[in-house]
Amino acid sequence: MGNRTRSVLSFVGEIGDTASSLWWDFFDWLAQVPLRRLVVTWMLAFLLGLTPVLHPKQVAFFIIGSAGLKILAGGKRKAEIEARKSAAQAGTESLERRLVEAQMSALQAQVEPHFLFNTLALIGQLIETDPPEAAKIHTHLIEYLRATLPQMRSRGNGTLGRQIQMAHSYLAIMQARMKSRLSVSIDVPQELESATFPPMMLQILIENSIKHGLEPKVEGGRIDIRASVNGSVLQVDVQDDGIGFNAYAGDGVGLTNVRERLKLMYGTRAQLLIEQPMDGGCRASICIPFAPDIFAKP
Amino acid sequence: MSQPKATAIIADDEEPMRDMLRKRLQEAWPELEIVAEAANGIEAIALAGQHQPDIVFLDIRMPGLTGIEAARMLFNRCHIVFITAYDQYAIEAFEQGALDYLLKPVNLERLKTACERLQARLGKTPNNIERQLSQLLQQSGRGPTGSAAQPEYLHWIQAQVGNSLRMISTKEVLFFRADEKYTRVQTAQGEFLIRKTLKELEDELDPNEFWRIHRSTLVRVDAISEVTRDLRGRQMVRVRNSTEELEVSRGNTHLFQQM
Repeated sequence: MGNRTRSVLSFVGEIGDTASSLWWDFFDWLAQVPLRRLVVTWMLAFLLGLTPVLHPKQVAFFIIGSAGLKILAGGKRKAEIEARKSAAQAGTESLERRLVEAQMSALQAQVEPHFLFNTLALIGQLIETDPPEAAKIHTHLIEYLRATLPQMRSRGNGTLGRQIQMAHSYLAIMQARMKSRLSVSIDVPQELESATFPPMMLQILIENSIKHGLEPKVEGGRIDIRASVNGSVLQVDVQDDGIGFNAYAGDGVGLTNVRERLKLMYGTRAQLLIEQPMDGGCRASICIPFAPDIFAKP
Repeated sequence: MSQPKATAIIADDEEPMRDMLRKRLQEAWPELEIVAEAANGIEAIALAGQHQPDIVFLDIRMPGLTGIEAARMLFNRCHIVFITAYDQYAIEAFEQGALDYLLKPVNLERLKTACERLQARLGKTPNNIERQLSQLLQQSGRGPTGSAAQPEYLHWIQAQVGNSLRMISTKEVLFFRADEKYTRVQTAQGEFLIRKTLKELEDELDPNEFWRIHRSTLVRVDAISEVTRDLRGRQMVRVRNSTEELEVSRGNTHLFQQM
């Protein structure tokens, strides 16, 4: 019994919803239609009213009613619709502005002073004990700074190969510092090196892995970087077996920037995935549409 | 010198840095005996207990325990000298609090001065530096290492996907909906089921980021695109990137009152 009343009620509600949406459609049309076309419609209605199809009384009611509505509410409704349109336009503009801002802040992404000072201290030490090793680390540092410092960033950074090269320099420095506490493997097929890949994203993932996963872990661990193509999706993984992920830790500037830039550049076609495998550690993956950059030098 | 040789422990997670400090110390203070070297904070404590050194050199950023945390457990047993390459907040505190510290790479002149200070204080009981240390510890919680953070809101939702736990940033979540035994997490990319109840989520999430609009719905405020009213007067919330309409229960309509 109660069930039946409810279904009847919801049916009535449904009819109400339909009627209201039809009414507002009519109202919108009335508010927006040019006066000349409205007059033509009235004439047609008037002519129809003379035939036996419609009652003249109803036609007269329609004409007077719609004329009244047009005069009273039309202007307001029209303004509302225009306001909504310009709001949508403003939305697109703000999206473009956000992309520029995100790119700017990525460009300004600074070299972490802690990293820089520790590396310089290491080079200072190696100059005395192992000059050839010092020269090597020194070269890696220059390579890293060239890609990271905004003033130094050169063209052609937008390929996966370039990003891997930079990751390699950074990890070589970290290995010299952490010694046996850090092992590294990079597995990127050569044919993927020319693929387009946004700058400073892989770097942010790797630095996170080292800083939050491996450096705090007493016995250290390993970091694996892999790239693969699945259909038209290029996926780059950074996996570590560090201390894992703290769900209460803030999102951090780095990950937020990566996510925001991916969203603005590729919409929903790109993703930043962060996973904790069952056997510990953390895996961060960036999936973007695969686009081999035929003009880029790998 | 009639007194027994002074002893010291070096703690730094980076081996080349330990080598460098040991070499420099041999030059600056040849009588000092380095009895052990530690690669992390926990090891430093253990070795200090074992060797009872006069001095412990502690790097600040170390795994296990940071130098500052280790110092808190050691300061009344031996003299502490901090070493760091770059820790803005710590260096400031060291200068104000008259704590001993060295900057990497260690400069020989500077090290000699530090050694002279230490030699003068060797026989005496170490300074009580507990207050400075707890202050430092508080600051470092906010600093870049952030190990001892204050109670925070939940920022990541963990959902099981296959063999791993997917970490979903709360910034990606559009809304949570109670779904029988589970809670459904909706993002622009898809949906996930988690076991945490809406009540638990509500307690752990930032209340300014997520609003409880219904017994079974928790919505991220920033994701809301519009709030409409249907014919029966119910408020309905729409979120970006989802076609689903979320009902606002009568008790929560005050959340969306017109200005």
